Amino acid sequence: MPVQTAFSTKQLPEAVVELRQQSKTTKPRVTIYFASTKYDPAMLGKQMKDAFPDSILVGCSTAGEITSGKMLSGSVVAMFLGSEIIEDAAVAVIEDLNSEAAVKKAFAGFERHFGCPLADMDLHRHVGIILVDGLSGAEERLMEKIGDLTDLLFVGGAAGDDLKFQGTHVFADGKVFSRAAVLLLLKLRKGFEVLKTQSFCSTGKKLVATAVDTASRKVISLNGRPALEAYAEAVGLPPAQAPSVFMKHPLGLIVEGEPFVRSPRAVEGSSILFYCQIREGMELELLDAGDIVNDTRRAVEAKQAELGRLAGVIDFHCILRTLQLRDEKRCDSYGSIFTNIPAVGFSTYGEEYLGHINQTSTMLLLR
Amino acid sequence: MAGQIKHMLDAIIQQRAKGSPTVALTTKTKLVLKGINPDRFSDTADDDPAIMAKVRAIAADLGVIV
Repeated sequence: MPVQTAFSTKQLPEAVVELRQQSKTTKPRVTIYFASTKYDPAMLGKQMKDAFPDSILVGCSTAGEITSGKMLSGSVVAMFLGSEIIEDAAVAVIEDLNSEAAVKKAFAGFERHFGCPLADMDLHRHVGIILVDGLSGAEERLMEKIGDLTDLLFVGGAAGDDLKFQGTHVFADGKVFSRAAVLLLLKLRKGFEVLKTQSFCSTGKKLVATAVDTASRKVISLNGRPALEAYAEAVGLPPAQAPSVFMKHPLGLIVEGEPFVRSPRAVEGSSILFYCQIREGMELELLDAGDIVNDTRRAVEAKQAELGRLAGVIDFHCILRTLQLRDEKRCDSYGSIFTNIPAVGFSTYGEEYLGHINQTSTMLLLR
Repeated sequence: MAGQIKHMLDAIIQQRAKGSPTVALTTKTKLVLKGINPDRFSDTADDDPAIMAKVRAIAADLGVIV
């Protein structure tokens, strides 16, 4: 059994019993699970540990779940990875998201486990998964520190809490953590790819962040003018109406033609608050929305054509995309993209790939 | 002497990448996310002292010498 997926919408303990039945294996090497906050996290963590005592267990709370063929809510989904896929794996928990030393300590632990410096690990066979608290605002700092210390890719998402914005959780080895991050470093027998797809294209209109408050994710001025005024002019609307198109026209940091999306969230006076940090001096481009389902389907199919059969997909999928799909009643269409691929994922409060990004599906493709 | 910022950024990317195009691209992306876009600096671009200081700090964070 290389990769198996399971899901349940039942309450505990039946939900974990159902996962166990669907797992079709007695001993997965690694189990990754994503769960609605309808489940008591401590109970869920303990029951998962009891059900899969020999497995490395990581997970987090969500704002919606994804599994092969389906987008769900109020459920728990799980992916079981066998030894045919996983050569080795190790987990670290970062309980102090503000601590640089905590990241270094986590990486030192990885090096001890794998018996090898991170710098010597094969970039094509080692990949990290990161699940991080979605309400702490610490994602950028954490991803930046990880990126400083290693060229290994860490991909993942910020945990959600069903749009309550009260508290998110990450799980490691059956234990629950708040305001923390879980890092899972995998050594894969057949390698992997990362697919970042965001269904936007640039309009070519440039907006330079000329004054910001990075820590609060606030842009004060764009192109030397009040941010809301400059954004409104770019989208061709009066400032009062501009927020109505935030989801359709986010901003993008463009790298080699690839947008890293920064989504506007709200207006504060003449400033704009975003769902991720924007640094002073960043040159951004106004983006225009495409079709989430068709664009994602094309991207996944292109990867399948390139790589051949995929053993599994983990989809870190922005809640903003999920909300749009729900509004358009196209969740089933999106879920159908993964009908024939063992897949799990969740609706995140932000996606992690080299940095913290928005309105994106960042997928780990297992070969 | 103009163009020093470009040379510093090229050195950062080269030292991290060690010949890997994949790492060169991810390093460039990390620089952009840190607020410094290498594409905006040419051989003739002015050597803004504030930006040069920022690049040196980034280099230190990335563990490279410029």
